[in-house]
Amino acid sequence: MHKLTESILDKFSMDYLRNQVLKNAYGNDDTVIAGLDPRVLLVWYLFFGLVPWFLNDLVILLGLFIFVALTTRAAKIAPLVLFLFCLGVFSQTGYLLIAALFFGGDASTVAPLLVMTLKVAVVSLASITVFSGLDPDRLANGMLWFGCPDQLSFSISFAYRILPVLMEEFQNILLSYRLRGNPPAKKTFPGKIRYLFYQIKLIIQAFYPLMLNTAKRSRTTVEALEIKGYRYALKNPTVKKMKLAMLKVTRNDGIFAAVSIVWTVLCVLVSAVSPL
Amino acid sequence: MSKIEIEHVTFTYPGADAPTLNDLNLCVEEGDFLAIVGNNGCGKSTFCKTLNGLIPHFIVGDMTGSIRIDGVDTREQEIGDLAKRVGYVYQDFENQIVCPTVLDDASYGCLNYAMEDYKERGKNALQICGLSSKISDYVWQLSGGQKHLLALAGAAALSPDVLILDEPIAQLDPAHADQIYEILKEWNETYHKTIIVIEHHTEYIARYCKHVLLLRDGKNVWQLPAQEAMRRVKELRRSNIFPPQVTIAADRMAEEGLVPADESFPVNIEEGKAFFGKYLRHLPESTRMARTPGGGESLVSFRNVTVRYRAVKGQAPRILDQFSLDIRKGEKIALIGSNGAGKSTILKMMMGLVHPEEGSVLLDGREIKDFSKEEVGELLSLVYQNPEEMFIQDSIRADIAYAMKVRKVPEYEKRTEELLAQFRLTELAERDGRLLSGGQMRRASLAIGVALNPKILLLDEPTANLDIATRREVMNTLQMLKGITNTVVIATHDMQLVCDWAERIIVLSGGYVIADGPKEQIFADLYVRSQVGIRPPQIYDMGRALGIANPCFTIDEFIGYFKEGEERYA
Amino acid sequence: MNAKNKMTQSQKMMVFVLTMSLYGLATLFTELIPSFQVGIVEFSVEYFLFIPLTLAMLFDPLSAALGAATGELVFSEIMLGQFGGLGELEKFLTVTIGVYIAGRIVKDPRNRKVVAAASIIGVAVQQFMGCVVDILKVQFAVEDFEAVAGLPESVFFTEGFACLNDILFSGILFCMLPTMYLAPRLYGKIEPLLGVKPRDKDTMIAGDYVLTPKMVGMVLIGFAAAIASELLASGGYELIDWEAAWAGNTTSIIIGIIVAAIIALIVIGMIRGRAVKNAETKQA
Repeated sequence: MHKLTESILDKFSMDYLRNQVLKNAYGNDDTVIAGLDPRVLLVWYLFFGLVPWFLNDLVILLGLFIFVALTTRAAKIAPLVLFLFCLGVFSQTGYLLIAALFFGGDASTVAPLLVMTLKVAVVSLASITVFSGLDPDRLANGMLWFGCPDQLSFSISFAYRILPVLMEEFQNILLSYRLRGNPPAKKTFPGKIRYLFYQIKLIIQAFYPLMLNTAKRSRTTVEALEIKGYRYALKNPTVKKMKLAMLKVTRNDGIFAAVSIVWTVLCVLVSAVSPL
Repeated sequence: MSKIEIEHVTFTYPGADAPTLNDLNLCVEEGDFLAIVGNNGCGKSTFCKTLNGLIPHFIVGDMTGSIRIDGVDTREQEIGDLAKRVGYVYQDFENQIVCPTVLDDASYGCLNYAMEDYKERGKNALQICGLSSKISDYVWQLSGGQKHLLALAGAAALSPDVLILDEPIAQLDPAHADQIYEILKEWNETYHKTIIVIEHHTEYIARYCKHVLLLRDGKNVWQLPAQEAMRRVKELRRSNIFPPQVTIAADRMAEEGLVPADESFPVNIEEGKAFFGKYLRHLPESTRMARTPGGGESLVSFRNVTVRYRAVKGQAPRILDQFSLDIRKGEKIALIGSNGAGKSTILKMMMGLVHPEEGSVLLDGREIKDFSKEEVGELLSLVYQNPEEMFIQDSIRADIAYAMKVRKVPEYEKRTEELLAQFRLTELAERDGRLLSGGQMRRASLAIGVALNPKILLLDEPTANLDIATRREVMNTLQMLKGITNTVVIATHDMQLVCDWAERIIVLSGGYVIADGPKEQIFADLYVRSQVGIRPPQIYDMGRALGIANPCFTIDEFIGYFKEGEERYA
Repeated sequence: MNAKNKMTQSQKMMVFVLTMSLYGLATLFTELIPSFQVGIVEFSVEYFLFIPLTLAMLFDPLSAALGAATGELVFSEIMLGQFGGLGELEKFLTVTIGVYIAGRIVKDPRNRKVVAAASIIGVAVQQFMGCVVDILKVQFAVEDFEAVAGLPESVFFTEGFACLNDILFSGILFCMLPTMYLAPRLYGKIEPLLGVKPRDKDTMIAGDYVLTPKMVGMVLIGFAAAIASELLASGGYELIDWEAAWAGNTTSIIIGIIVAAIIALIVIGMIRGRAVKNAETKQA
């Protein structure tokens, strides 16, 4: 288990992490999913993100699961995000399952939990398809169209801008700690625990310099935003219209919607004839 | 009516004792190309922020006097209206870019001010800035120089009449610096924009600017035509500004009576040719022999190393290709090459932070992969380009002591005190590194770097973003390293630093070493110079232009040729 | 608009941007730091809440709180595709409330005792609200909650334990101690970088009482909204589900899906309509 922890820690070096997040955000802007209209995708998400919650039919859920798994594949999601997805699904219902068994549950407890696992999986994959598959800017515009506050759409776009910068800086600061520091030996078991705590402590301490450095940056950023008219745009509805003018529903969107509907109907039909 | 009229402007930051701008008066004409010079803290940046209305609209403080742009007081205008008249590019321009993609950022301002043709405006600005090919790229894919151009395009897209740039070329290699100034020149001449730069590279001022404004303690000392301004050597030096080397040479020679003092000093090489040509006394044949690199033991060696970036998509680009290099004990090496040539990657590979895809890197004969990070940290020390990232504690003293303390070095307190004294930091010991001035920060980061007595010290761009006076300070600090660390590798664009300090120069281009040798050899190689856009100090080219065969790297060497025989090689 | 008012505007924006970027980055990591289990006790680095806590104590609490919640939403939920729909609103609101309360309590960031107390109160408030919502959520999500053998006990136990564990483990280790370390250390250093005067009696936000009735009211409304949003997101549609189960055949499932689709479209239409209306009123 600790070997696993270590290999995970090694694998998730900051560099790798940074690369994966960037890949997830920008590396898939040429996929079918990324080319769709964000509004269509958000509506699609609303359906696939909500409907599974009140379905209890195993066959339909399985069918939907296969479909969203395919869309996730089409969106070329970074492996890291998929890994997180698996971890998330397991921890969300997995621990309940164990606890229920511990308190004397039986098949009647396990079955609903299994259905729930599928529900969680479908909903998560749908969310991954939409939120990771879409370009941040398009996503932000799509949300703007649905009346989300401008601040949120700005935050999304700004987050994608600042993340690579922050990560690089954080990486360098952590490196300063690692190169100059002297971590405890990690041969023995208590040593490994100590090493883990040392690492976590480093990450926390690293935020002290990072906070100060980021504060320095954000002053320029906010001044620049002011000059570039960020606050004017908030007050001016024409700007919003201009931003949204680039959203267009194309034939691909129609095809995508049609495929989604046909598939769902098929799932329901299969469920009707299947013995389950 | 002048474009900009400033009358009796005094500005005090909240909580500050003295005003930053003190009864400032000046006018800027339409179509001017004005350079603002002055020492640190003379109010240059503050002044520029009054022009675009950030002061007093956004940054509060006490302001009196009037600032009129096109005859209208800035107080009576909204920042939004001013932004369409006055564009501003920050010194830390990277933080000015707020959108993830290039075109979006360039047109962001236009969009916010509801200009219907915002995309076209952004595209136009990008085209003028030479970024047309990058239009759909993401910001993080750009190099430092390109980011600067993008920040410029973002400001220019609003088509302001006045463009202000704060230290536009501080982080750029000469080729990119030329590019920026050529663009500004085009804007000035073709589009009749008024350009204002805060600049301390006087060679660029002499080449491109029309007027120079000298500020001291928030006051206008003088405002003169650029050529004339550059000749005021003494006054500039008093404000820690170094005029072009040919001008300094002429001034010193006039003092020593080698040339007449009443003649107008040259400010560039062409003028220098006419000026110095008459007085040149000796034209010796080439005598100096290039020093060959010594044969000391090899500390670090690269064997056929190939490295790639982690690509976000598509084929990963190669940074280094079948790269081999030996670094021997006691060498003073300068790594040069244009932005993105792989200098930083080489430094990082020595620290074991980047592992080669093929080939190996040996440290003391052992594969660097086999070292733990902490072991590497004791043998090598890397000082980052951005000194802020070196400061991980809340005081300089704690930062210097940190590595020794956690390694339980005996008497580490004593050594910390010694280092503080040696790098003239004793008085700053309790301050947080981030809150120091540029030069102090570099000194502190060097002191941190040598705390563990590393065998090799690696410095990444130790003089980037510094004015010339502070660069000298850093160079003096490098002299302090004598006796602590003898093997030093510096990655840099700063050719003055290379000339004054380096004994071996390695030139990188396209992932290969294209030249490796002493400075005399490197700078004489015109092919290398054209390949990587490195440029020796002006005085070297001046010497060449006069037909002096032996290269002169310093003003002293140059002046030597105008003196009597025995002093020639002084 | 007078100059003083504008100054606070820009400073708030800086605090917002600062907290958002930093806490967003931190929540990205928390997704990745492995948790380990000793028996049934799960030790996980749940939150880097010390970042917004520290900043809320040094600067404007509301901006810091909103920045933190937005940062988490944008960086770890949207960027990594872990977005949980309407349910995220719950986390958004509880984080905002917790951080805001903690930030309001502290008058002098150099006083470590107050800083420690405030940070643990902030975490406790946030965790407790999250725990209540979680229990209600499971109650709604699993049909025949009471009838399933051992389920209610297990849910109460695991959620309650998780809450206590988070307050004591994450709360002390990752919120209280780091905040105690950082807040006094940053005091007087970080403020000049943003052009702000350090917090003291004069610059402390208006309203000297830590708990004004208005604030309590706001917190309560926020909490109610958090519960409502969470239940709407996961459990609210149980009504339809229940009706579908009553028939128990394929037709009802199809009807159920169609109804759901229609409801989804109506919700979108409503949101959209409101947005347009808002834009129009703004324009007018």
